[in-house]
Amino acid sequence: MFRNLIRPRFARGLATSAAPKDTRIKRFQVYRWNPDTPEVQPKMQTYEVDLNDCGPMVLDAILKIKNEQDPTLTFRRSCREGICGSCAMNIGGRNTLACLCKIDQDNTKDLKIYPLPHMFVVRDLVPDLTHFYKQYKSIQPYLQRDTAPVDGRENLQSIEDRAKLDGLYECILCACCSTACPSYWWNQQQYLGPAVLMQAYRWLIDSRDEATKFRKEMLQNSMSLYRCHTIMNCSKTCPKGLNPGKAIAEIKKQLAFD
Amino acid sequence: MFSLTRVGLHSKALLRPSLARAITIPGLPQVPQPPGNIIGTVNDAYVPPPPHKLEGSIHWTSERIVSVGLVPLTLAPFLTGASTIVDSTLSALLLYHCYAGFQSCITDYIPSRTYGKYHNYANYLLLFGTGVAGYGIYDIETREGGLGKVVSKVWKA
Repeated sequence: MFRNLIRPRFARGLATSAAPKDTRIKRFQVYRWNPDTPEVQPKMQTYEVDLNDCGPMVLDAILKIKNEQDPTLTFRRSCREGICGSCAMNIGGRNTLACLCKIDQDNTKDLKIYPLPHMFVVRDLVPDLTHFYKQYKSIQPYLQRDTAPVDGRENLQSIEDRAKLDGLYECILCACCSTACPSYWWNQQQYLGPAVLMQAYRWLIDSRDEATKFRKEMLQNSMSLYRCHTIMNCSKTCPKGLNPGKAIAEIKKQLAFD
Repeated sequence: MFSLTRVGLHSKALLRPSLARAITIPGLPQVPQPPGNIIGTVNDAYVPPPPHKLEGSIHWTSERIVSVGLVPLTLAPFLTGASTIVDSTLSALLLYHCYAGFQSCITDYIPSRTYGKYHNYANYLLLFGTGVAGYGIYDIETREGGLGKVVSKVWKA
């Protein structure tokens, strides 16, 4: 009896362990399509997740769904911190990275998750970005020079010239902007789209690059660049806060009297 | 076809859903598109259309100059009263402005990639319409005394 008084009633927990709270169930509606059964139409599947037992970001929720409820749910993810651009998807009607998108804590509303709009779907939330990468390849996104560096070792660049690349080189090619662009929806076979055009601009203004003539010439047609009608969905949706719309406008300005 | 199978773009790719359907115009036959929009293998770079400045920068620049030029030309008659030169320039630029706008719609929504020769037919139709409108403007300028007069007449009526 005496020993019972001395012995603590409960095992001592970690400082971080909190008392069990009420559950806060939020419903996630996720786009599902399986290439193995192409005759079955794509459908929305609803999952219920307890927000008190889940991380703050949408990626945490879909990882939790995959781990605990449905291992067949397919999506791309890698770095979980907005650096790799794998988990780009359409969340609540906006193209963004699942790892940077906070879950709306209002659990009376369902959260709808779709793959990137107007792309071919490989499975569930995985879009086919093959053509997007082919377009990126077409702008030759690498330094091209005919002359060797002056000092024989490095291609030097002034601080001002380097500063021009800020806001352009940070792009992670998640394709959120391109797939938010109506012009890209209708003409993605030929229109390069904001993400690729921003990289085209990044190489156009690089002081070390000497292929400017080629880079400008490949945009001189009605489709590659001029399908941009400054709708500006690209700048609005960019999860990294970049401004592809401005980059495209700058290209048009450079080409205007070319 | 063999290369397509090798890179995993077999016939099933045709059945893959695209989230939003591209706008299609009922009644116009379409050119079939390659699976996944991929021409060549997945590792080939996309090949842009051949450079054509008239369709590229010159077209864009002239469009902008006309749009900007329309602003003072629209305001001028209110300040100085109608003159035939200002009036006919305004109508001509307005006509080109409309032509370029509709042409842009055709390039967007009736591309030759999907509709083949119908893209050209649409452009011919637009050109014909613009010609008719041009004759109409000539008629207004010579017989009615200019666009400005017609507008003021309608305004007072």
